[in-house]
Amino acid sequence: MSPDSGLPADDESAVGGVHIKYLVHCPRQLWLYARGYRPEQRSDLVAFGEVVDDTTFTRRRDVDLGEAKIDWVTTGAVVHETKSSRAPAPGHTAQVRHYCLLLERRGVNVRGGVVHYPLIRRTTDVAWDDDARAEAEDTEAQAQAVIAASTAPDRLLRGKCRGCSYLDYCWGD
Amino acid sequence: MLLPRLLLGRLMPAVGRTYWLTEPCRIRREDNSVRIERPDGSPVRIPITDIRDLVVFDHVDVNTSALSLLSRNGVTVHILDHYGNHAGHFSPAESMSSATVVRRQVEITADEEQRLAVARSLVLATAENLRWALDTDLLDSALEALKGALPECRSNDAIMGQEGNFRRTAWAVLDSRLPPWLRMNGRTRRPPTNAGNAFVSYLNALVYARVLTALRSTPLHPAIGFLHADTDRRRNTLALDLAEPFKPLFAERLLRRAASQKHLKESDFETDVGRASLSKDGRKKIAALVREELATTVHHRGLKRKVSYEELMHLEALKVVRFCLEGTPYKPFRPWW
Ligand code: SF4
Repeated sequence: MSPDSGLPADDESAVGGVHIKYLVHCPRQLWLYARGYRPEQRSDLVAFGEVVDDTTFTRRRDVDLGEAKIDWVTTGAVVHETKSSRAPAPGHTAQVRHYCLLLERRGVNVRGGVVHYPLIRRTTDVAWDDDARAEAEDTEAQAQAVIAASTAPDRLLRGKCRGCSYLDYCWGD
Repeated sequence: MLLPRLLLGRLMPAVGRTYWLTEPCRIRREDNSVRIERPDGSPVRIPITDIRDLVVFDHVDVNTSALSLLSRNGVTVHILDHYGNHAGHFSPAESMSSATVVRRQVEITADEEQRLAVARSLVLATAENLRWALDTDLLDSALEALKGALPECRSNDAIMGQEGNFRRTAWAVLDSRLPPWLRMNGRTRRPPTNAGNAFVSYLNALVYARVLTALRSTPLHPAIGFLHADTDRRRNTLALDLAEPFKPLFAERLLRRAASQKHLKESDFETDVGRASLSKDGRKKIAALVREELATTVHHRGLKRKVSYEELMHLEALKVVRFCLEGTPYKPFRPWW
């Protein structure tokens, strides 16, 4: 996704932040996504509304880990992730923890993370310590297991699928 | 979250609409808009994100800068020839293909048992949909005959032969409800010999174009199909396959309706000895008719919302994706309303 960032990004082989977010939301979604099926996100496109020239985001993307932005201060790196949703979700913090894990493996001294929700003017701090690291490693292993499974995980209960871009695929029969 | 959205915007067809070009025109690029110039009237500018695809019914002059804008935004251009045949299309360079899905698609279609099973079910669903569209019990015995014959068919040719038999009967029944000038008197193409056939050719080509567009937003390869032969001139055999069960919903049903509502007139066609096509006004009428029809909605129980006929084609393509990814048996479309 970001070939010039020099960090493991969201390609077919590595477990990236999006994989983690999907795993937490619905393992089936992760399984499908990992097989290269990425349905149109119609609503997202409507919200976005216009095509922005490629250069617009290369400038914004100076420090970038797939999606997350990173601040470096003298004492370590803080991972910032901005969400357009109105409700904090477990997937968001798991995603940031995963970025912390990836950065740490690159030898970066990670201090923690913050999820920003500009629409509700809130932030959620994500701690980075031994517990968080263990949790991130566990989540990564789960993601790898789901991706490697030969059959798709079951659908969630219908009510939990709201807003998922795979809804037409899973329930359209 | 900004980055993936931008990528999506570049790779996938946007939410936009289908634009039907029923008159000669010129297509140019103007910044991020497409400018459509008609001989009369001032040019129309459409933001590229508002375009899902273009269906061209008449002469169009387009340059490479417009084409590359269309391509980058995932817009397909379908071209219908004078007689309503799908003459070809221009496809974006990027596709949504996924190696996993296409690999399975190849495996399944190469497996004779699986391929024939899907081919049979497509033909049966199409026949049942035809009976539904004509709303008659005059086809019951032909349908029984087809049901009896299909399991014996050991090849695509044999299956297509059975479908041909059924369709001939169905068209004869349809003819009996049409005014003489609109009767098909047997199916003819390239060129269609009369108004009825010209109508069916246009509608079938439009259904095919819609299905092809639907397939392009899935990871499937449109050229790897179940029923039609790989040697078919149009080669996008999966698009031809999936168009089958939808054709009666559009072609035969609308022909019947247009006749009963006296919506179509003889003057909407240009008929010559042994060939017929739509007139300029006829093309406009059909484009309007199809547009309205594609937007018609029905309630979908699984999705718990209304879906348009156009979306039904998209859902149909997704069923094939499920078949390839998860082995969920593919059951061709049947109207449930
Ligand atoms: S529609 Fe439901 S079951 Fe399917 S991927 Fe989305 S959340 Fe999971």
